[in-house]
Order: sequence, then C-alpha cells, then structure tokens
Amino acid sequence: MSPRGPGVPRRFRNWVFFWTPATWLVLDLVTYPKDRPIASGFGHIIGGFIAPTVANYPAWAMLFVALALAVSGVVGLVRNAKKRRFNGALVALAAVFAAWGVVAADPAHFALTNRHGGLGWLFQTLCLLVAGVCAWFWASAGPERAELMVWNTHQIWKLYRGNWQGTAGLWIIGIFMSIALLAPFLADHSKLLITEGVGPNNRPPAGSYYRWMGTDDAGQSVLTEFIWSARISLVVGLMATFISTVVGALIGIVAGYYGRWLADVLMRLTDAFLVIPWLPLAMVMARLWGTNYWLIIMIIGFTSWPGTARVVRADALRVSELQFIERAKAIGSSQWHVMKKHVLPNVWPLIFANTILVVAVAILSETTLSFLGLGDPTNFSWGTMLNKAWQSGATADWWWIIPPGIAIVLVVVAFTFVGTAFDEVLDPKLRKREEHDADRPLTVEGEGLDQPLDGIVTAPGSPLRPILGGGGSSSGNKSDDPGGPQ
Amino acid sequence: MDKRRYFLRKVANAVLTLIIVASFNFVLFRMIPGDPARLLLPREKQSPAAVKTMRHYFHLDAPKWKQFAYYYWYDLVRGRFGVSFYYKRDVSSVIAARVWPTVVLAGTGTVIATIVGLFLGVFAGWRRNSAFDVVSTNFGMIMYAMPAFWFGLLCIMLFATKLQWFPSGGMSEPGTVLHGMTAFGSFLKHLALPVFTFSIAYIGEYQLIMRSSLTGVMNDDFVLTARAKGLSDNAVLWKHTVPNAMLPTITLVMMNLGFIMSGAILTESVFNWPGLGLLSYTSMEKIDYPVMQAVFMLGSAFVILFNLLADLMLYYVDPRVKA
Repeated sequence: MSPRGPGVPRRFRNWVFFWTPATWLVLDLVTYPKDRPIASGFGHIIGGFIAPTVANYPAWAMLFVALALAVSGVVGLVRNAKKRRFNGALVALAAVFAAWGVVAADPAHFALTNRHGGLGWLFQTLCLLVAGVCAWFWASAGPERAELMVWNTHQIWKLYRGNWQGTAGLWIIGIFMSIALLAPFLADHSKLLITEGVGPNNRPPAGSYYRWMGTDDAGQSVLTEFIWSARISLVVGLMATFISTVVGALIGIVAGYYGRWLADVLMRLTDAFLVIPWLPLAMVMARLWGTNYWLIIMIIGFTSWPGTARVVRADALRVSELQFIERAKAIGSSQWHVMKKHVLPNVWPLIFANTILVVAVAILSETTLSFLGLGDPTNFSWGTMLNKAWQSGATADWWWIIPPGIAIVLVVVAFTFVGTAFDEVLDPKLRKREEHDADRPLTVEGEGLDQPLDGIVTAPGSPLRPILGGGGSSSGNKSDDPGGPQ
Repeated sequence: MDKRRYFLRKVANAVLTLIIVASFNFVLFRMIPGDPARLLLPREKQSPAAVKTMRHYFHLDAPKWKQFAYYYWYDLVRGRFGVSFYYKRDVSSVIAARVWPTVVLAGTGTVIATIVGLFLGVFAGWRRNSAFDVVSTNFGMIMYAMPAFWFGLLCIMLFATKLQWFPSGGMSEPGTVLHGMTAFGSFLKHLALPVFTFSIAYIGEYQLIMRSSLTGVMNDDFVLTARAKGLSDNAVLWKHTVPNAMLPTITLVMMNLGFIMSGAILTESVFNWPGLGLLSYTSMEKIDYPVMQAVFMLGSAFVILFNLLADLMLYYVDPRVKA
C-alpha cells in the first residue's frame, strides 16, 4: 500500500465523520437526562432547533462542530482540487451548524453552568475535544495503520452493501438512533410527568401532535413516552453489550490462548453461567438490589457473556495455532503482549459480528425485565410502556400496545440483520457457501477482493487485513495459509 | 471414545456444574440486604425473642460454613426448601402443585413448535432463495425477535377482548365447577392462547436453525452420491439430508426444554396460567425468598439435566462423538 501524500486532511475527515458523532451519541445518551427541554405544543420540531432553552446541545458544542467541519472542508478545498463539491458541502454544513449555534446562543449557555446548574455540556464538549485529539494522534502516529483501517473499512463496506438485509438493518437502526438522539427536539420531556396529561384517559389517536398515538391510562401522551423510551432501550442495550463483550472476549481469549489450568477454570465458570436461567436470576437480582437502569445494564451484561466467551475461545484456539504466534513467542513476547497484539486483532472480526448480535439480545432482555416491572421506575422504556398497559388492563388500547412492540421487533431484527451481514462479510466460509449455492456470486464492485494480500496472514479468503500488529509481525508466513488467495 | 468414560465424564461435569450453581445460589441469597428472619415475621410480631427463634430455626445464627452445610443437606439433598412466606406452606408442596400446568403448556407448545419449525425450516432450506424461503425466513426472524409477552398481549387484544373467542387468562372459569367433557373443553379453550404464544416464540428459532443446518449439509458429498444413485428428490431430502441436519435442532430443542421454566415465565404471567413461571413471577413480586431460591435452583437443575440428556443422546445419534 502506497502512502498517499501526507494524508492528514483525510484522517481529519474520518475524525469528523466518525469520532464526533460517535462520542456525541455516547455522551448524550449516558448523560441523559441532563437538560429538561421546554418546548410547548405546536411547532416544536422546528422550534426545537432554534429555541435556546430547547437546545439540548449547548451553543458551544454547535460552534465547535461548525469549526471542525469548516476547517476540514477548507483544508480539503485547498489540498484536494478534485473533491470540490464534497468539501464545499462540508463548508456549507459548517455554516448551518454555526448558524444553529449562534441562534441557540443564550448567555446562559455560554456560562459555565447552564440554567439547570449541570455541567454536562462542558463535560461533553471536553470529551469531544479529547476524542478528537486522540484520533488525530493515533492517525498521525501510524499513517500505515490508518490507511490500512480505511482500506479495510472500504473493503468491508463494498461487500456489505451487497447485502440487502444488512443495509435495511442499518437504516432501521439509524432511524431509531435518530429518534433517540433527537428526542428533546421531538417531544417535551416534561410531558412524561404524571401531572402533564394531554387529554382524557385511554383515548385513541387524535389530531394534535401529542395525541398522535393516543393517551394512556393517566391521559399522558403515548407519543412522548414512545420517543423517550427509545433512549433507554438503546442505551441499556448498548451498554450491556459493552460489558458482556468485554467480559466474554477477555475470558474467551485467555481461555483459548493462555489455556492450561486457567482455561479449565474459566470454561467451567462459563458452563455454569450458561446453565443459569438468566431470567429468574435477573429477576432475583433486580428484586434484591432494587431497580435502576445502571443495575439493569450490569445484570444483563454479566449474565449474557458466556455465549461470546465460547465463540471467542474457539476462534482464539484456532489463532493460537498459527505460526506467527509461535514466532512472537520465540522472540520473547510476553503472554499478555501476544494476546493483545496478535490474538485479539485476529479474533476481532468475530467479536465484532457477535457484539452486534448481542445487542439484539440485550435490548430484548431489557424489554423483558421492564415488562415484568423490574425496569427503572423513573424512566420510560418500551418494556415499561407495555408493562403499564398490561398492569392497567388496557388490553383493547391498540395504540398503546402495538407501537412499542413493533419498535422492539424492528430494532431487534435490524441488529440481527446487521450482525448476520457482518458475520457473512467477515467470515469467508459463510460467504463462499452463499456464493457456491446461490448461483449468482455475491457481486463485488471494483477492485479489492481478488488482490493478493501480500505477506499477511488472515483467515483464508478473508477480506480483512489484520488491523493492528498481527500483520506486521507475520510477513513471510504466506505459506501457512493453505486456502488463502495467492 | 469409550462409552463408559464418555458417560462418566459427562455426568461428572454435570454434577460439578450443579454444585457450582448451588453454591452460587447460596451466596446470592445470602447477599440479601437486611435480615431474612425479620422479613419472615409480620411487622407487629417482630419481638427480639421471635426473631431469635426464627434465626435459630433457619440456622441463620450458625456460622456461614455450617449454614452452607445445612443448605446442601436440607435444601438440596432432602429437597426441603423451607416454608413459603406468602403461601405459608412447604415450598416443595407449593412447587408440586404448579408443575403439571407448566408441563402441559410447555410440552404441547414445544411439540407444536418443533414440528412446525422443522417443516418450515426444511422446506425453506431445500428450496433456497425461493419465494417461500425468503418469506418464511424473514417471518421466522421476526418471530424470533418478537417478545413473547407482547405477542401474548396482541393475542389477548384480538382473540379475547375483541373477538371473545377465547378467555384472556387463567386455567378454568372462576366460580364454576364443570365435569367431564365440558371441563376438558373449557380447559382446552384456556390452553389455546398460551400454547399459541408459547410455540410462536420458539417456531422462529427452530426454523432458522433447521434451515441453516440443512443448507450446511446439503452440499456434502453424500447428498451428491444419493442423487447420483438416482434417488428421487423426496428420498434424498427425507432419507439422507434431513436426518443429518437434525442434530443441531435436536440439541437446541433439548437445551430449550431445560430453559422451559424461564421460558414459561412470560407466557404464564401474561395469561395468568398457574404454572412454575407464574410462581416465579409472583414469588418475585411478593419477595418470597424461599420460593425464589427453590425456583431458581430448580430452573438451573433442569437446564443441567437436559444438557446432560442432550449430551448422552448425542452419543447415540452422532457417530462422530464415538470417534
């Protein structure tokens, strides 16, 4: 791979497009609810973007994003004459954000504490800054690695696009993520208070915005509950998956690579956790230690890792047989180093695909617990909504029962689709089978797959080059790779 | 592998897992905040003497290792889980009364789900990428993703509230005593919706597993040989492919049978079906620790037992295990 110029603007763009929204999303969901927005009645969707009190994201963050976009756009325009339109669009987007920031600029938001006395936004902005700086350093420290990552992503994306289920899943997830993220702009949080009814009890959908989905047994807006539920459902699902994946991957890799007596102990533990019926356990734990949504995240996270651990262990066993591991050991690498730098990168695709599948399970688990009345009583999730409908005996209120269920099914199916799609893209065996018996091969546009992957050992036929160290240390081991593309 | 060694190893593993889970159960319930002896007594009777008697009765005044021994001896070996706080009866008798409704519900549901799921999976896998495959597989995905309780609520909404074809819950009409065929008919009517919900929850899973294992087997050499011999399509499918593709599904069914109790919690609570699932839900609601503990232990024991059975069965079904 030839380095293409200094490459900083490109990575800078990566940062803007990936790290900014990612950090923002995580922080926004985690610090919920930091600002209770005050929007009233009609027109708050548009109004939400400009009214200073509604802007959940303080003006600082807006201006910051605008600045980042503008810099990247201008740098792009100066350096790369070819992508004029793209960089122009960036600058235009920057202008939009800047305008938003200025309009939302309320003196209160520029002060260190905002109206509600919270410092959440400052924290958020600082974290954005840190994430950006980290990404920048990471990218400039190893241009090859950054290039490789971009190249890998591109290869995977090309394969991924060919999978309609995966694409549909991404769209669905995108839509629900947007709902979760834009909740403050879509519905007024204060409408969740029991005193803030929007009409008579148990009424079907009606004309005014807050009654688009009817009212519940306290005359509250089902629409508002639905929108704010998306946050809890998604954030609990994602955080629980994070815990589950970290625990599962760690145990799996240690058991698979390190082995010996530790493997026996760990696998016995995994077996024990695998047979514990998680629902009664979760019920017991939630009942014993009370219910708030951090606890629910912990419970789901710590009961759902055994599946991951097993899968990862099997793959780590395969990887630890490869020759570059032996080589790394021969030159005296420590066990921990080998696990971190050689085993993990090679097991990573599997962990990644598995993680997405775990998200689906975690969301379903959260819904189940909430439905059984073990959810966080101060927050809404789709399961809580169904629990309320069930407990109040409103079995005829279709407007109250159907939407949360459909949302759950859509999100879970979407995550399953995406996970399966990644599984197929990242696991060459699955893909080959598909190609083999679905008379038409998976279409891959452009170059990439058929290129010889010089000197890099991956699973035979994998489109992936090892993202981290595995690749560098394994050059010259081509011959280990019997089925590999050569 | 030698048969006796294989069996012994599996049984030993199961016993070891059981011991680990039982110890975990012990620890879990010793982590309860507050004093269980106080919880046992009504508020007005919490005199220090009464609490002391209670503590002694439940061996709570003994050192932890002694409690641990008592727990293993009385609770596990002799199956005596104490007295339910809520029902004021022996936990074992409370559980005994709840077993057969769950067996009927989950048994019928599992049989239906297995048969329907297998057939759907086989037809979808055999004609891959046909319209039937695409429709049924995506439908299976949706069934798999659907929370059982939500589907139960939908069933109640449609069939019980709107159409009034079936009762919305319970196992019999309250306040009436029926005999003979009418009683049986009423029972079936009460059973219909829970079984439907229960089986829908599993059909998707079985179908997807069957389909994927069938497509895996379909490309094997022996299928080609069977075709080359000139066997009919049906014979190739049912005599050669399906038996080989059954293994993962059978294992899955066995595993799920183990999880039957936790699987039944949702269906039973939605339909108020008086089985073990509802018992675990109500004991959780009423904070009935002895019942919770017993139910949890029973649930885990079920899983371990069925896993063991699956492993043992695999020895006879899958020739590769012997090698």
